[in-house]
Amino acid sequence: MSQVSPIDSVEHDSDVVFDNIGMTFGTASGVTHAVANVSGAIPEGKFVSVIGPSGCGKSTLLDMVGGLLKPTQGSVSINGESVTGPRRDTAMVFQEDSTLHWRTVLDNVAFGLEVKGLPKAERHERARRMIELVGLTGFEDHRPGQLSGGMKQRVAIARALAMEPRVLLMDEPFGALDQQTRQFIGRELLRIWEKTRNRVLFITHDIQEAVYLSDEVWVMSARPSVVKEVVTIDLPRPRPEGTHALPRFRELEDHLWALVKVEAEKTLGPGARLA
Amino acid sequence: MTVQEKTSSVQSQQRTPLVSRAALVRWVIILALVAVLEFTTRTGMISQSLMVPPSEILTRLASIVPTEQFGQDAARTLTTILVAFSIGLVLGIPLGVFLWRVPAAGRILEPFIVTGYAMPTLLFYPVLLALMGLNAGPIIVIAASMSLIPIALTTMVALNAIKPILHKLANSVSASPRQYYLKVLFPAATPLIFPGVKLGFIYAVIGTVAMEFILASQGVGFRAGFYYRELNTADMWAYIAVVIVLSVLVNSVLTWLEKRIRRDML
Repeated sequence: MSQVSPIDSVEHDSDVVFDNIGMTFGTASGVTHAVANVSGAIPEGKFVSVIGPSGCGKSTLLDMVGGLLKPTQGSVSINGESVTGPRRDTAMVFQEDSTLHWRTVLDNVAFGLEVKGLPKAERHERARRMIELVGLTGFEDHRPGQLSGGMKQRVAIARALAMEPRVLLMDEPFGALDQQTRQFIGRELLRIWEKTRNRVLFITHDIQEAVYLSDEVWVMSARPSVVKEVVTIDLPRPRPEGTHALPRFRELEDHLWALVKVEAEKTLGPGARLA
Repeated sequence: MTVQEKTSSVQSQQRTPLVSRAALVRWVIILALVAVLEFTTRTGMISQSLMVPPSEILTRLASIVPTEQFGQDAARTLTTILVAFSIGLVLGIPLGVFLWRVPAAGRILEPFIVTGYAMPTLLFYPVLLALMGLNAGPIIVIAASMSLIPIALTTMVALNAIKPILHKLANSVSASPRQYYLKVLFPAATPLIFPGVKLGFIYAVIGTVAMEFILASQGVGFRAGFYYRELNTADMWAYIAVVIVLSVLVNSVLTWLEKRIRRDML
């Protein structure tokens, strides 16, 4: 296995860097340490997935990069600047359907650019290119109510990509889709990403998905979460359809499963045993 | 996706003839009712002191509608309704937004508002008459307060029903509070607020016509009440018919508007 400690990775100024970040929530039952001491970096042009047991603070990590949550310890910096709030160079895709039902596909994709203040002609032009990229050409004037779940997520991805973000933050974007759509749209995402090569921080609980898409998979531990291991996915790109069947793919998948299993058992409590 | 598209287009293909068939049946029912009324009143099965034949209502209307007095009555009633409804909107929507933004205020005030909904506000009409005199003022106050309540309540409920993800989305693209309200919150809430607005309008109509009926110096409702007290059944029914036509017209305009808004939701 090729493993590197997250702290060893070379940190560039242009990177997305986590500097020993932590997050504690005050709750009714006391203080919860959601994330503790996470360090690492997302290098230029890399696709990084984060996996871990449910409730390990994966989404919290993502929200901190997106500026929606402020870490209670340490800091996230992008391009050398510390993240203090939502930034124009990050864009998010959520698990839930976040399309605006009263807008057409075109105006949904252009939404972020509209908020940014781009003139109509320019934002529509850019939105059209993104619609083509995600394979929704012909649906520009449809409304989300006329689209399937998978298509709505593609609208959300196009909306995020239209912002030309330095980092694309994806919070289990395919989590609400059925298995077939999920695999299909996963391949689509990879095809799109091969063209754009944004940095991606991708949260998932699907190990196969993580291996298939990523350059690096960060395995998070149970609470209080730290990055337990960074696994480099050394599968060649582009990754055609048969990739899942490669022996190396299986190896990586098994290794990740072994790591996640230990953490999941901790989360589920004493005596829990996963097959 | 193609499967979904097919099913939705099949549904819309089936829906159109069904709707027009329903409309046809509705017209048949209306015409049948009119025919039954005509027959029962003409033959004396219904006393003409209670109800006059629809054909006679029509002839009465033909002579009433062109008069200057009718024009003044209709204008008075319509402006009263519109003023009351506008007040209901202008106060009701901000009140709903406030109840949503400040949940504590919502919890404290909601019982009052719901009581206001249930209470026959018309009981305050005599007091208002004594305070403001016999003019449109007291009627506007009553009709506006009736109209305001459903508008405020549905606004609050609609805003509460908006998915938190939309707030997160607006936040993630650094939308300003103004952009959040105008580009996300209000468009998202409009289809949900609309039924309350429609109800608010209907309440404004009911409030206005009912108060005019009780006591006023002018207006369609006043005229119907006036002829009722004079035992002039034919003219009373003519004015009732005016109110019915008015309500149907207003309601169809609102339903058409609502459909247009809903179409965007799909």
